[in-house]
Amino acid sequence: MSSPAFQIRSGRIRAVAPGMQSALRARLTVVPRLRTRTSPLPFVTLVSFVLLAGVIGLLMFNTSMQQAAFTTTTLEQQAKTLSAREQTLRMELDVLRDPQHVALQAQRMGMVIPASPAFLRLTDGKVLGTPAPATREDGVRLLPRPPAKPAVLDPAPNIVKVRAKNGAASAGNGGEGGKNKHQSDGDR
Amino acid sequence: MRRTVSRPLGTLRGSPQLRLRVGFLVIAMVVSVFGARLVQLQAVDPNAYAAMAAAEGTVTLDLPARRGDILDRNGKPLAGSIEGAMVVADPSVTRDYAQELARFLAHRLDVDYFVTLKALRQKDRKFAYIARRVPASQAEAVVAAAEKAGYKGLDTRHDPIRDYPAGDVAANLVGFVGTDEALAGFESNFDDLLAGKDGSERYAVGVGNRIPLGDATIEPPADGHDLQTTIDLDLQWYTQRVLRQTVEDARADSGFAVVMDTKTGEVLALADHPTFDARNPQAAKPKDRVTRAMTDVYEPGSVSKVLTLSALIDAGKATAHTRVTVPRTLPSGDRVIHDWFDHGTLRLTLAGVLAQSSNIGTVLAARNFDSGQLRDYLVKFGLGQKTNVGVAGETQGILPDRSIWTSMTQDRVAFGQSLSVNALQMAAAVNTIANGGVRVSPSLLRGTAVTDDGLVVGSDTTTTQRVVSRNAARQMARMMERVVDPEAGVAPRAQIPGYRVAGKTGTAQRVGPLCGCYNGTFTVSFAGFAPADKPRFTVYVVVQNPRNGGGGGSVAGPAFAKIMSYTLRRYGVPPTGTAPSKLPTTWRPGQVASR
Repeated sequence: MSSPAFQIRSGRIRAVAPGMQSALRARLTVVPRLRTRTSPLPFVTLVSFVLLAGVIGLLMFNTSMQQAAFTTTTLEQQAKTLSAREQTLRMELDVLRDPQHVALQAQRMGMVIPASPAFLRLTDGKVLGTPAPATREDGVRLLPRPPAKPAVLDPAPNIVKVRAKNGAASAGNGGEGGKNKHQSDGDR
Repeated sequence: MRRTVSRPLGTLRGSPQLRLRVGFLVIAMVVSVFGARLVQLQAVDPNAYAAMAAAEGTVTLDLPARRGDILDRNGKPLAGSIEGAMVVADPSVTRDYAQELARFLAHRLDVDYFVTLKALRQKDRKFAYIARRVPASQAEAVVAAAEKAGYKGLDTRHDPIRDYPAGDVAANLVGFVGTDEALAGFESNFDDLLAGKDGSERYAVGVGNRIPLGDATIEPPADGHDLQTTIDLDLQWYTQRVLRQTVEDARADSGFAVVMDTKTGEVLALADHPTFDARNPQAAKPKDRVTRAMTDVYEPGSVSKVLTLSALIDAGKATAHTRVTVPRTLPSGDRVIHDWFDHGTLRLTLAGVLAQSSNIGTVLAARNFDSGQLRDYLVKFGLGQKTNVGVAGETQGILPDRSIWTSMTQDRVAFGQSLSVNALQMAAAVNTIANGGVRVSPSLLRGTAVTDDGLVVGSDTTTTQRVVSRNAARQMARMMERVVDPEAGVAPRAQIPGYRVAGKTGTAQRVGPLCGCYNGTFTVSFAGFAPADKPRFTVYVVVQNPRNGGGGGSVAGPAFAKIMSYTLRRYGVPPTGTAPSKLPTTWRPGQVASR
C-alpha cells in the first residue's frame, strides 16, 4: 500500500532539477496525504477488553443469577417448611383447645360445670345469685353412651335371694328394670 | 487474457444490471416462500400452531386458591384450611422405574398401587397427580426419600387440606367437603364465597428443566373469603353435650336446641342430635348429616300457647287476670278437646291456663279472636315463612291457608297442633316476647354473605317488626314465669336458682311418616328466656319421640335449665334481683280481681 507514495515522492525529487516548467508542473501534483502510521494495538486491546469484559460480566451476571435462584429456592423451601411446621403446631393447638378435650381433662381432675351460676360483685363484695356447690349430678356426660349390647352379651343379672340363718328375710336388691315407672308431668 | 473466453460469462460479468436483476429475482422468490409460509401459519388455523408451539416448550400448572375458613363468633375456626401438598410426577421420567416407584409410594402414602402405577406409566405426558391433600411435611419427606433412593421425576405442589378442629361441634351447620367439591352445610351453600379462584402458572422448559429467564406468566390465585358465623364454639359444644345426654336418657329419636341472643337475633348455638364428626362424615348416616333443626317440621304443641295468648292480650281480648272456667272436656266441631291431666271444672286465670298448660282454657280464650285474626298474628310471629339464615333445605313450616282456616282449625292451632314449624322459626317467635314484642329476624352469619343461590343473608340483613305491644309482651313474660313455679306451674325443673326464668313446655302429638296421622308418639319441648324481667337469651329445646314417658317439663325442661345457666354464666349475666312474678293462677267466685 505504501509503494505508490514512494513513487510520487521520487518523482518530485526528479522534477526539481530540469527547470521552471517542470517545476510548475511539479507544483500541480497532488499533495501527498500526510499519513501517520498509527499502531492498531490500542484499538485491538480496547475491543478485546470490551469483549472480555462483556463475556466475564455476562458470566458473572449469569452466575449471580443462578446463585440468586439457588438462594430463592433455598429460602422458599425454608419458608415452606416453617409454614408447614406452623400449621402442624396450630393443628396440635386446636386439638388441645378443643372444648371437648379441655372438658375431659377437667372432668378427670374432678371438676364439674356448675348448675347454678352466682356472681361476686367486687365493688361491694355482694354475692349475686344463689351459690350452690356443684355436685357430680350437675355434670354433663361428655362422651356418648356406648351402644347397647345384645342380650346374649349382656345377660340379666342373676339374683339369688338368700334367707338369713336367724329367719329374718334380707331384702334382695331386686330388678330395677321391671319397675320402669312412667313419669307423666308433661302436658298435651 | 488473449484466449477466447466463453461469451455468456463475459457478458454477465460485464453487465451488473442483469446480475442485480437475477439476484433480486432469487431474493424475491425466497421472500415469497417465506411469505407463503407466513400466510399459512397466520391465516390457516393459527391457534393450532400457537397451541403446538406452546405445548412444545411451556408447562402450565394450576395454583389452587386457599379456601376461606369458617369461624365462630370469636374467630375460632370451625373449619380451616391447613398447609398441604399434592405429590405430582413426570411420567416421561418415571416410566422407566414405574413399578418400583409405585411400590415405594404405596408404602409411604395412602395411595393405591395400581392407580399409581398407571399414572407413572402414562405416555407422552409430563404431569400426573399421585396423591392429593397430603400434609406438607409428609409430602416433602416422601419426595426427598424417593430422590435419595434414586427415583427422580416426583415433585410437590401447594394443595390445602380442609380441617375441622372441633369435630362434631356445629358439624351439621358447617358441613364438609369431599376430595374436589363441597358436599354439605355452609361448605356447599357458600362454596363460591369460600372457594376463591384458582390461578395458574406457565413457564418455559427446555430439556425438562425450567429456563431461568424463559417466558413465565403467573396468574396468582384469589383466595376465598372467610365466613364468620354467630355460633359460639364453647356454648355450641356444651349445648350439644347436654342435648345428647337428654336424647340418650329419654331414649328419643332425635333432638335439637337453639340458643338465641334476644336483642340481636344472633343464634349462639344451634345443636342437632344425632350428629356426625366432620372429620369423618362417611361414618354417619346421610340423614344425620343435615341440620334437623331447620329441615324437620313438627307440631310445636303448647309452646305455641305463648303466641296465642300474647296475641289475645295484644288484641285487647284478655289480660293475665282474665278468668276462665275450664270444663272437663270441650267439644270442637266433631271432636272433643281434652287436657293433659284429668280434672273437674277448674277456675283458672289466663296466667293459670298457661301455667297449667290447659288446652281447653286456651281454646276458650282464643275463641274471642275475630275470624282469621290469630292467623295474622302467627304470620307476624314468622310462622309459615323461611327464616333465610343461609341453611340449605330449610323448611318453611305449615300454617293452614286462609281458605281452610275454620273455627275447628283455629281451636287446634291455638294450642299448637295442626300447624308445623322448624325449630329456629319457633325460637324466633318466642324471642319476640322476650324482646318486648318486637320480632328480630334470626341470623347465623355475621355481616353479610351471599349464598350460591344469590340470597343475601347475615346479621347485617336483620329486620325487626313489632308483633305485640310492649305491655302484652311484659304480661306474657310474667305469665311464663308461673310455668316454672314449683306450686303453680308444670315445669319446676326448668328453674334456675336465683334467676327469674320465663318459659313454656310443649308436648305435641307427632304425625307419623307412614300414615300421615298422629301415631301415638310425641314431640316434647321447652322454650324460655332469662332473666324474665330483662331478657338476654332465648333457649329452645326440642326432643322427638322420647320413650321414657316424659313430657316437655321433665325431659326438655332440665336441658333448658342447664343450657340457659351455662349461657348466663358464660356471658356474665347476673340475676336481676327483683321479686318474681306472683300472678294469681286461680280465682274464686266472689273474689275481687286484682292487678
